[in-house]
Amino acid sequence: MLNNLFPTLARFRFTVQIIMLFVTVYGGALLGSYTVDRISQALPSLACAYDKVTGDHCILISAQHQLHHRVGAALAKAGDVALNVFLPTLITVGVFFMFFFFLNKAFCGWVCPLGTVQEVLYKIGRRIRRPLKRFTKENVGRVRLVKWFMLLVLVLGLPTLAGMGTVANELGDPFCQVCPSRIATTLLTADTEQLAVRTGTGINFFLGALGNAMFGFIIIAALAVRQPFCRICPLLSWNALFQKLSPMRLVKKESYDKCAKCGVCEKACPMDIHEIGTAFGSKAFHEDCTLCGRCAEYCPDDDVIQLKFFGFKLFGSSRDYYKARVKHESPEGQPKKRVIPILRAKENG
Amino acid sequence: MKIHYYSCLLAACTATAFAAEPPAMAQHDHNAMMRSQSRDWTQLPLLKPRMKGQDMSSRSYIIQPQNIAAGVVEAWSNDLDDANGHRQLSIEMGGAPLDKPATGGFQMLTAREVQSDSVRVASTVHYFGERGGKNPTAMFDQFKHELEIVPQPYPREHSRYRANEDWQFIVRFKGQPLAAQKVVLETSNGSHSEFMTDASGVVKMHVPDDFKAEEAQSKGGNHGMRRGADLVLAVSHEDGGKRYLTAFNSSYGEDAYANRSLTMGLGFMLVGMLGAAPLLRKRKAAAKNEESTNA
Repeated sequence: MLNNLFPTLARFRFTVQIIMLFVTVYGGALLGSYTVDRISQALPSLACAYDKVTGDHCILISAQHQLHHRVGAALAKAGDVALNVFLPTLITVGVFFMFFFFLNKAFCGWVCPLGTVQEVLYKIGRRIRRPLKRFTKENVGRVRLVKWFMLLVLVLGLPTLAGMGTVANELGDPFCQVCPSRIATTLLTADTEQLAVRTGTGINFFLGALGNAMFGFIIIAALAVRQPFCRICPLLSWNALFQKLSPMRLVKKESYDKCAKCGVCEKACPMDIHEIGTAFGSKAFHEDCTLCGRCAEYCPDDDVIQLKFFGFKLFGSSRDYYKARVKHESPEGQPKKRVIPILRAKENG
Repeated sequence: MKIHYYSCLLAACTATAFAAEPPAMAQHDHNAMMRSQSRDWTQLPLLKPRMKGQDMSSRSYIIQPQNIAAGVVEAWSNDLDDANGHRQLSIEMGGAPLDKPATGGFQMLTAREVQSDSVRVASTVHYFGERGGKNPTAMFDQFKHELEIVPQPYPREHSRYRANEDWQFIVRFKGQPLAAQKVVLETSNGSHSEFMTDASGVVKMHVPDDFKAEEAQSKGGNHGMRRGADLVLAVSHEDGGKRYLTAFNSSYGEDAYANRSLTMGLGFMLVGMLGAAPLLRKRKAAAKNEESTNA
């Protein structure tokens, strides 16, 4: 029965994504207003605290607040840094890790509401035949650096400096002010407040304008580029810091010589991780991997790529699965059947 | 101008405030006298939190009863299993120091003044911005005083009462909903409005947008949230020859769209969308390739 409901890993993942979209965007309305205070407030996905009915909060807002209000303020008082100052931050990171331990970066690929929104937009882009824009081996390295800049400057640096009084107080949560998930998830609750740019101060206005422009860019770019924001998301780099500490892993067979001639898994990867085709063993689990499992779905050889938890295989590549999968969808995500009649009619003549 | 029904009631209560003090209050009468001075924007009983300390590590709170002669402030923690969850905070010179229970989160605070012919209660909610608090719904629903105004729900973290929003409360007397009961709202910005409870005792409070234009320009608050103003919701009910008056006070902020521009927001979003638009264009060569592949 489960096989009928979820014939592919992609179908199962998309179902989980939709369920988690409801939890992370409307969870408070479904499970009670105060759910957000009880689950964790340290979720490793962009569940936005500005969404008034979200079921949980993103780790990044808690981290920014604590750096702003506790760590930064304590550093300003030289010598007054004590365990009771850092303890709340450690607790936040600890709670985050309790979640992260089980799913690792699958939070990005299976839970994050913005990831789901971008993926849905990309599916729409495939249906309306927009071109696919990919990062090549040569230029993908440049974009990968941005996520570390976002983490170090917007999530860790500026909030700490704001707490120390070195920079303006409005820079206490700068990532949230530019995060497209803040706008996307609140709009999904029919709340336009976050779409309205703050005009109180120059910094607020600048961050708001930047955030809105980025949101506009992302929702259009997602029609042609897979997961455009995920590539620069500071949560991807934050999660990458911890990814080796979780037993949930992407594992690839060591020195499998057929990989050199194939490269289908590279095409299937929504994050343009070209290394998945050339690296082996633990190196194949790249810092940008979101554990979506598409590389394993589109690997044509048995058990070369596997998703494992504590060494136990959750999903492994197989030739039969691959054959069935490519009948319906190309590795790049292009469905084999058109579902928009007007486009089909246009193409038929 | 509307006649303040509650002001008349309060004047009568205040006149007899120290005539027959309950035993608990007698021990603190000099403090109570200091606290019972009325504030100019309302004569309804209030519990006002005062913060001490600048940063979170040294921050503490003093709860100041205003317009009510109470001996103690009662605090209810959201952890109903905690033996010390319901505690009495003694009022010192500046007010009642509020301790933070282990679970943090939402705390219901009340102060009570009992006279021979009246019972007056001030109530408010304090939130400790720490993770770990339990769901406060059961704590809010817990029976505390004869006449109660219970938030349904109270704004959670990162949220607050704001102008032009509607929030619900349930009005109960001895645990039972009070239908068709008049509820009065007063704000420190000078608004006064009245609402009625429905058949299930629920009242929908519309928070007035009464911030003055010059105030809206000022900065302050946290993460762009302005400091705000105060509101108090009050209900009065007579039963068995006693008059009960209960008030629930909180702060509220400006309208969600104050100091924001939706037009500019849409404009910048459009700029971003236009910036990404070239990505959607098919190159002629790529399109031809695709056509030949399809053929």
